Amino acid sequence: MRLLRRLRRYLRVALIFAGASVSAQLEYRANFLVNLFGSLLLAGGSLLGLTVLYGDGQPLGGWSYRETVVVVGLFTFVQGYIGAFLYPNLNRMSEEVRQGTMDFTLLKPVDSQFYLSTRNVNLFRLTDVAIGAGLVVWAARGLEGVSLPGTLLGGVLVIAALWIVYSVWFMLSTTAFWFVKVGNVTELFNGLFRAGQFPVTALPGWVRYVFTFIVPVAFVTTVPAEAITGRARPGSVLAATVVALLLGLISRRFWHFAVRNYTSASS
Amino acid sequence: MRSALNKGRVLFTVWFAHMSAYRAEIIIWMLAGSVPLIMMAVWIAKAQASGGATGGFTPSDFAAYFLAAWLTQQIIVAWVAWELDHHIRQGHLSPKLLRPLDPFWEFFMGHASERFVRLPFMLVILFAGLILVPGTRLTPDAGHVLAYAACASLAFTIRFLIAYSIGLLAFWFDQATALDEFYYVAAAFLTGTFAPLEFYPPFIQAAVEWTPFPYLVYYPVRVLTGAADTPEILRVLGVQLAWLLVMTLVRALLWKQGLKRYGAVGA
Repeated sequence: MRLLRRLRRYLRVALIFAGASVSAQLEYRANFLVNLFGSLLLAGGSLLGLTVLYGDGQPLGGWSYRETVVVVGLFTFVQGYIGAFLYPNLNRMSEEVRQGTMDFTLLKPVDSQFYLSTRNVNLFRLTDVAIGAGLVVWAARGLEGVSLPGTLLGGVLVIAALWIVYSVWFMLSTTAFWFVKVGNVTELFNGLFRAGQFPVTALPGWVRYVFTFIVPVAFVTTVPAEAITGRARPGSVLAATVVALLLGLISRRFWHFAVRNYTSASS
Repeated sequence: MRSALNKGRVLFTVWFAHMSAYRAEIIIWMLAGSVPLIMMAVWIAKAQASGGATGGFTPSDFAAYFLAAWLTQQIIVAWVAWELDHHIRQGHLSPKLLRPLDPFWEFFMGHASERFVRLPFMLVILFAGLILVPGTRLTPDAGHVLAYAACASLAFTIRFLIAYSIGLLAFWFDQATALDEFYYVAAAFLTGTFAPLEFYPPFIQAAVEWTPFPYLVYYPVRVLTGAADTPEILRVLGVQLAWLLVMTLVRALLWKQGLKRYGAVGA
């Protein structure tokens, strides 16, 4: 009962944060069109790229053109999620540590990780989320292996994927406590995540293992796409769930460890 | 003339010291620009899957192409649009206008000196790439390396002028950096970092020939890998010089017109 009350309180706080941040952005409505144009350009470019890759009519790592569009759609979706929810929050951490305003954040009467992760929403980047979802739906409609259970499983795996991305992004941002000057460390993930726009089987031997076990990009786009296109393997579904839970726990631990070592900038 | 050389030397030394202080951040930006390396993996896997070559490219051809493309992309990268946008909107441009030197040179030297901070890490990644894909030869002889040095320097200057011109648009409207992001999206697919341009549909190949895009990465890569013979090298250099001239004029025009509108916000 107490847990439920706490949960409801946190949900209300998150909604208030989102409302405040959205109403601030509605002042700049022209940005919406600019962002929409950018998102369409990016999606168009990705599809053009796939056309080039499939120019000789051969499948890519065992995936047909349409099946790969599902992967591209999920990639665009996750990029929109990063732009809308992670970037505007977590990338402020290094700035807060540098300027010493992290002290105020830690004093707030809510969980500090929650506060840091939900304070802002970039409404306009939701265009990528919508376009990504649209691509997945469009591609999946023309595929034979697609079924309702597979799609539901895919949905669950997408949630696990978002959780993985959040945990990695949060841990990278947390390193700001030690590397104060390095403000762009999340770009490391961004660079490697670019591999997620292709099925991981399109990569040669050992590179595939790097993007599965060292950098868990495969669990973010390929594994959910496998479920949606009806080729889910129990092993990878289980692995995605375990990786998501584990990374969530580790990032939480890492955050507590970082805060314990925080000595503030000016005091 | 001597005073100009002296100014150049001082600017270079100062900016080199400044950039060296941010070497960790520079390495992260370098690793974030990983698309050519990911595309290298994808195309090599594709060549292996179709029995050793696709479209006349063997795995080691792809390795040479994309390593050269990665190198070129590292050499031409420019963020001056962001810097100018910031300077114009925040009024930081005002003190620079009082100096007896066009602010252009300060930004230019900042970028040029940063290339020398990158250099050691660029060589490390190139050697790693050459070892990981056995049998890869990046370039046939010293003559092509020298021609490449000229092509790559011109490509960098053209890209810098494009970014500078986009940044100057901040005199007129406040979404100049969004335009530079559109440039990045277009460049990702049209400069040749995604695939060698001969894999593109013929009408796209014909169309991009009229833009500066292929002269920023694709043709310099052909020069370094030895795919271009002497007449082609001369043609590439000629077209690059023409683009350099066009962009110099565009930059000068925008600067002259923009300064008239500059309101020195906050200064």
